[in-house]
Amino acid sequence: MSEPFEPKIIAFVCTYCTYAGADLAGTSRLKYAPNVRIIRLPCTGRISPMFILKALQKGADGVLISGCHPGDCHFTHGNYHARRRWMVFRALLDFIGIPPERVKYSWISAAEGVKFAEFINTVTEDIRKLGPFEQYSQLIEQTQASASL
Amino acid sequence: MSIEEQYRTRAKELLSGGAVKMVIGYGKGTTASRRRPLFISSPDDVERLVLDDACITNLSGYLVSEGLLSDEKRVAVFLRPEGIRAVNILAAESQLDAEQIVIFGFDVSGTEVRALKGIHVEEFSDVIGSIKEGAPEASEEELFEKIEKMSPQERFSFWQEEFAKCIKCYACRQACPMCYCRRCIVDSNQPQWVNTSSHSLGNFEWNIVRAFHLSGRCVECGNCDRACPVNIPLRLINHRMAEEVLGAFDHFAGMSKTQEPVLASFKKDDSETFIL
Ligand code: SF4
Ligand code: SF4
Repeated sequence: MSEPFEPKIIAFVCTYCTYAGADLAGTSRLKYAPNVRIIRLPCTGRISPMFILKALQKGADGVLISGCHPGDCHFTHGNYHARRRWMVFRALLDFIGIPPERVKYSWISAAEGVKFAEFINTVTEDIRKLGPFEQYSQLIEQTQASASL
Repeated sequence: MSIEEQYRTRAKELLSGGAVKMVIGYGKGTTASRRRPLFISSPDDVERLVLDDACITNLSGYLVSEGLLSDEKRVAVFLRPEGIRAVNILAAESQLDAEQIVIFGFDVSGTEVRALKGIHVEEFSDVIGSIKEGAPEASEEELFEKIEKMSPQERFSFWQEEFAKCIKCYACRQACPMCYCRRCIVDSNQPQWVNTSSHSLGNFEWNIVRAFHLSGRCVECGNCDRACPVNIPLRLINHRMAEEVLGAFDHFAGMSKTQEPVLASFKKDDSETFIL
């Protein structure tokens, strides 16, 4: 019997808000799904769309991106820049056929440990329902096919 | 006098008076229906200039050729409205000084070629404004709408099939006036963001990156689309992105030489509905 599907999710978070929120979730001993690998960055403005593509390239079934609420950015407006970029990138992914449900965005502050835990849980469940990102893993498998001469 | 002749005369005057050091225009191509870029710096060569409905290539990209404008001399160039928009963007992104560019503006409807009045970019703002108002449609509205109606899975398959043809020749990048980076992200290998092989994954990544970097900058001139040797309908992706920035930020690329690049600026009240 094959093992039940456990989604592999990558989260890109900013260190000042969401990472601190994750920390709070931890110190408050909140339970949340262990499917998420968190990558901490200085600011949402540092989260390049290339990171999302890289995560997919490495076989992620879902990607999360989160940072400080608008107005709360440690660098004053990194998250405003990020927001525009996400709006455009999301539209692009959608048009190419990468379902928007696989890449999720949120604002989570350092005080929102509960929101963080809930966010991770909901997204993990959603992606579990969607199943593995087969269309993308097909692409990845093709790259591993041995060369035929 | 035909526009072709008017423009030849004007080119001759500008070159012989030393007002411009070069005229970039169109010359005869390898077949009767093709035109190729022509670079002339002597007034005796103006007879080689051709201007007709086959002049479609956006020539603005040549303006950022290395060293061309660094002597601060002026260069004249034949441009359609998209080309003029491209010059605005290049100026807004500090790639050139719009003062150095003398424009031979023209537009084509059907087989008729029409001159656009003006010399410098700012004189064409009405023309550009009216294109924006006209809400340009995708060149293949039907296919475009069909794609929009597909489920994500179908869209993925559609593009997978299209991108499978890509040979990573980067002709689309080479042909694009906006792709002026000395070092493209796909040429960087420390780290290597994008798979360089032209397998489906690499092709997906490349085409996503290309489209993203041109979002809000693409003027839909079609250079990339025509350059693609395997006919991937890049115009559809470009159009989708242009539509997105217009709808979300009221941004029409290349409105003026001081327009803020859409992804290098923001409004505090940019409104979205998907951030949880
Ligand atoms: S992406 Fe294509 S259509 Fe857009 S400006 Fe570049 S060459 Fe022209
Ligand atoms: S021109 Fe076409 S085949 Fe060449 S890299 Fe661009 S999309 Fe691929």
